[in-house]
Amino acid sequence: MRFIAVFNLLMLSTGTFAAELPDWTGIWARVEGNGGMFDVSTTRPPDGVAGAPGVRQYPPLTEAWEKKYQAALDLAAAGRLPDPISRCGTSAGFPRLLALPDVYEFIVRPEQTWIITENGPNIARIYTDGSDFPADEDLWPMFTGYSVGRWEGQTLHFRTISMIGGPQTILDRSGLTLSPEATVETKMHLTDAGLLRAELTIEDPLALSEPWHVTRHFRRLPPGTRAYDYACAENNRNPVTDAGQTLTLDTEGNVIDKEIVQ
Amino acid sequence: MRYAIAALILTLVPLTSPAHHSSAMFDKSKVIEVSATVREFQWTNPHVWIEISFASDAGAEEDWSIEGLGTNSLFRMGWRQNSFQPGQQITIRFNPMRDGSQAGGFIGAKFEDGSTLGRWD
Repeated sequence: MRFIAVFNLLMLSTGTFAAELPDWTGIWARVEGNGGMFDVSTTRPPDGVAGAPGVRQYPPLTEAWEKKYQAALDLAAAGRLPDPISRCGTSAGFPRLLALPDVYEFIVRPEQTWIITENGPNIARIYTDGSDFPADEDLWPMFTGYSVGRWEGQTLHFRTISMIGGPQTILDRSGLTLSPEATVETKMHLTDAGLLRAELTIEDPLALSEPWHVTRHFRRLPPGTRAYDYACAENNRNPVTDAGQTLTLDTEGNVIDKEIVQ
Repeated sequence: MRYAIAALILTLVPLTSPAHHSSAMFDKSKVIEVSATVREFQWTNPHVWIEISFASDAGAEEDWSIEGLGTNSLFRMGWRQNSFQPGQQITIRFNPMRDGSQAGGFIGAKFEDGSTLGRWD
């Protein structure tokens, strides 16, 4: 709780007025691609795409989590890693929601910042109103966790806790997961080049042997670009089986696939 | 042979995933190019679908389902909900399913007026 007290004190002492908040308006898209690989800086091969055989990233994983990751990589290589978002029912979760395709909106208000992803959709709410994290008994594991932040000049600092972790919120299609004990410290600010930069420090006593630093960027799309409704369940012709296989259905709902893994 | 399989045209990356699901079911080392008739165009999320018919090697008419990205990304790339219309004659390229089933991941299409959608180099 010492962190929370210090964090809150900092928030109250460095509050930023509305007129001083940065302009993050518009529509944004991720810069780092690789098919959604979360940590592109350690992805090997460097141009590898998430889910392709032999493509992985190198976080400082504990031995136990490296084994879990290897098992997931094997499933991905066989095309049988179930991606929860393919089922069109749950959020991608934090921090994966910072690595999604399609577009983003960053809505900045003095009391909150919302990160809205078109894909999903997902909403991350970052409270900057000076409030603290809820008491432990008022928190439960959530896909996007619970985020409390503060402004230091034009930089948004926030901490995210209470993420659900595990296979319900893989970080990308290579199958990497974090544990429910993970926490994320994020700093977001505009760079001189006009990119929105998110610097993450992820700690996880079960999955990581040391803090994992990941940086992601977003570029602003041309004025007039819009985000649209995305109802994933509207016409999902790619159900995922219990064996992790993504099927393809015809217009009548019949399975097209000739080979179905049991 | 009514359609051609161009193997190892690796530069023709499909416009299918990764938004919603893995593209592991598509054989990205193979490209099928075929002259086809559009039966239906489903302008939907999480993917658009171009339902086409064309004659197989044996001469029988086959129905295939070609999958693209979702509406939102495609709209921003210039696609519209009437980009494909029933009865339209097109030439279309796609990565076929690995198991030989009659579906594929969209790469590009060329229309009778010479215009194209997707990747058509």
